[in-house]
Amino acid sequence: MSVSITHDSIATVETHGKSHHDDHGHRKPGIMHYLWNTDHKMIALQFLWSATFFLLFGGAMALAMRWQLAFPGHPIPVIGHLLPHSVVNDEGAIIPSGYNVLVTMHGTILVFFVAMPLLIGVFGNFLIPLKIGAGDMAFPALNELSYWLFALSGILMLSSFWVPGGAPGTGWTAYAPLSSVAAYNQTPMGQTLWCAALFVNGLSSITGAVNYITTVITMRAPGMTMFRMPLPVWAIFLTAILLILAIPVLSAAAALIIFDLNFGTTFYRPSGYGQPLLWQHLFWFFGHPEVYILILPAMGLTSEILSVFSRKPVFGYKAMVWAMISIGFLGFIVWGHHMYVSGMNLTLSAAFSVSTMVIAVPSAIKTFNWMGTIWRGSIHYTVPMAFAVSFVSMFVIGGLSGIFMASTPVDLFVHHTYFIVAHFHYVLFGGSMFAIFAAVYFWFPKMSGRMFNNTLGWVHFWMTFVFFNLTFFPMHNLGLGGMMRRIADPTVYDCLKQLQPLNVVCTIGAMGLGLATLPFVWNIIWSMMYGPKAPANPWNSTTLEWTVSNPIPHGNFAVTPTVYHGPYEYSVPGLAKDFLPQNEKAPAHITLEAH
Amino acid sequence: MTTTMLSQLFTKRSASRLLTSGVFLASLVMAGGAFAEQRSGNVYGLPPCVTTTGLQIDSIIKMIFWLTAVVFVLTQGTYIYYLIVYRRRPGVSAHYSHGNNTLEIIWTTAPTIIFLALAIYSNRVWEEIHRPAPDNALTIDVSSYQFGWQMRYPGVSGKLAPMDVRKITPQNPFGTDPENPKTAQDVISTDLVIPVGRPVHVLLHARDVIHSFYVPEFRLYQDCVPGRTIGWVWFQATQTGDFQLACNQLCGTGHYNMKAPIKIVSEEEFQKWLTPRQQKNAGIIPTPPSVPVVAPSPAKAASLTAPVAGNKL
Repeated sequence: MSVSITHDSIATVETHGKSHHDDHGHRKPGIMHYLWNTDHKMIALQFLWSATFFLLFGGAMALAMRWQLAFPGHPIPVIGHLLPHSVVNDEGAIIPSGYNVLVTMHGTILVFFVAMPLLIGVFGNFLIPLKIGAGDMAFPALNELSYWLFALSGILMLSSFWVPGGAPGTGWTAYAPLSSVAAYNQTPMGQTLWCAALFVNGLSSITGAVNYITTVITMRAPGMTMFRMPLPVWAIFLTAILLILAIPVLSAAAALIIFDLNFGTTFYRPSGYGQPLLWQHLFWFFGHPEVYILILPAMGLTSEILSVFSRKPVFGYKAMVWAMISIGFLGFIVWGHHMYVSGMNLTLSAAFSVSTMVIAVPSAIKTFNWMGTIWRGSIHYTVPMAFAVSFVSMFVIGGLSGIFMASTPVDLFVHHTYFIVAHFHYVLFGGSMFAIFAAVYFWFPKMSGRMFNNTLGWVHFWMTFVFFNLTFFPMHNLGLGGMMRRIADPTVYDCLKQLQPLNVVCTIGAMGLGLATLPFVWNIIWSMMYGPKAPANPWNSTTLEWTVSNPIPHGNFAVTPTVYHGPYEYSVPGLAKDFLPQNEKAPAHITLEAH
Repeated sequence: MTTTMLSQLFTKRSASRLLTSGVFLASLVMAGGAFAEQRSGNVYGLPPCVTTTGLQIDSIIKMIFWLTAVVFVLTQGTYIYYLIVYRRRPGVSAHYSHGNNTLEIIWTTAPTIIFLALAIYSNRVWEEIHRPAPDNALTIDVSSYQFGWQMRYPGVSGKLAPMDVRKITPQNPFGTDPENPKTAQDVISTDLVIPVGRPVHVLLHARDVIHSFYVPEFRLYQDCVPGRTIGWVWFQATQTGDFQLACNQLCGTGHYNMKAPIKIVSEEEFQKWLTPRQQKNAGIIPTPPSVPVVAPSPAKAASLTAPVAGNKL
């Protein structure tokens, strides 16, 4: 196949996709339809249900931690005695090693088994082919393999709870040599499974990413140039590139821990001429791009939702794309800001702080463009819009608190305190999770063919918004008050005892936030089965996924669409309706503004 | 159990504290807050600062706080204003615009300049904090292990016995040379006792995994890395008092409770504490109050699975 992409070659690839579809277009009997299905829309749903399970599981662990921090040593009410003995004692109160397990598994599960699959597995799979006018992914079977690798990694991760020694308690960052020497962590089997799970999870990410990149490059419909792609596609495309570059580093580093733990090597052990800081460099070389892997798709999804419900084109579409590209690039040269005070060379810390300050610029650009998007709009408040609007606000708070830590001297004080816990929850929950909620509601009519329950949606939004801030805002104060993260009992420190009322406030907020998730889960389960049938284009959107009928047929498009203009032509003057779909030519008397 | 706790929560004192927190948080969200400035009950801001470098850090925190507070109020204010006035109204349609390049250039350049200025200023202070310790500094070897701390003070010679991180073993926890006569003279302590007003240079070591030297009142965090000596940390206390040294790097089961007392005392009191110990180790006079030297035992970890002591609110 030629590398240069002409309309003809796209059409050829498209036909290939189609002929492939005929092979599996018919419905498989019974449960096999759900277990092995190469349709990208079904794979997106597989990721959605799996990640929702992990969301409830990882969220429950956070509630257990919050209980312990507010009421240290008190048995967890009702369910305390049901928890495994690696986590609680006979009375149902959390033990210190159990607390470390919760810290570790909450972080690992929320990052690798909730945020990544929801953003990339669900929306990457569901949206890319539909938005670029393709019949499916470039490699449908590889796509399903990616899901099953993900499922396998989840099983490996959860199985660590039942091996001798229990799940690891070394933090999601698993700093060596604590993680790499059995005598120090006392959970060598759990830690090995943790590493193996991340390795397999990485394979899943890589197979997914290869698929996304190939699909975006080769399978766009005629007329769908790169700069006519909707922003979620751009975001996930760039994320896929980051995944391919960053994930192998984590996989290799995790494999080295397996060797250190089980085969007597000493990559990270100083007594064997290894280097503890090597792990941190490898981990954060992956870890920092990972931060952007978790926020870029969220930014893309939000940009589109803001545009649709403001009935306005995205402000500065190209600036948005270039900002994402520069975030992707700069994301690889800022990993050292996790290591200012790790014992790394001090001049390196100073250098990393400069690149870190610079990477704040594209985020600022995006924020201003989001504000530009709603400016002089005609804002229609729906549940997805409420989440998207809040995303911007919460992201600004998370971004501003990040400036404190980017400054090297301030990091000397706030490093590893609750200030950073507040910061990354504002970015990962207030950012990524809010965008995920917005996107689930927004594309629900297309994913399920049904409408969600609006009242439950609003209840979910208000509870999430209020309790999220109640949980995480006081954590800034806890951190500035000196409270360390990852300690099982703050009251053992004299200077932290006085902060205890704030810990109670955070815990009350967290319980509310936990409850807030229930209407969401109930809403998507119930509405997917019994919700009212959704029209093909309930939000009057312009992008290609809304041009196909509900339920979406196999192969998505009966006829490959032709794209005539950019993705966000809303409120074009002179048109009868306030949106112009990408596959509709503008009438001759109307000129579209260049974007 | 739960009901007792909830009733405890709403005893008069805690209820008023909770109320204060609520009122405070509300005002913080509304006004952007000024928490770096206030600290009446020591709950809503920075702990007291007792080192010279800490004061420099506090001034940057204040500067960034006001900078971000202004940006916060301006952006969120504008945003909320837009959200209200541009809500859907009958008869009014949205303005058709794909952007504005002049604006893009302005809001790219302005933050770039601010952020770079901040980075340059921060790194100047960073460099100043990390300039070499003055000559009159007292050098203390701070050694961390699962799950505790040991300090090594110089003996009568005024100089620490030399050590080598590669020689650190359970039998030789400080990695010193047993042949060297100075080794026996070193004063070992579980408390970090330091004189006020004099620079203190700490050599940070870890015997097993990574720990960290964290004292919020010093505004100081530094990892202790096994196999290395971290030799660039020094500070000068500005007032006397009792504080706690905390490990702030997850280091295993007993991590949460890995602390050591810090006593900042006058130079006179410091000498009163150190000199007899130095003389005892040098065999000059045998003074009884010896400090127990406890080598970490792995068996200790087993006792740490007991529940954490309950907190009475």
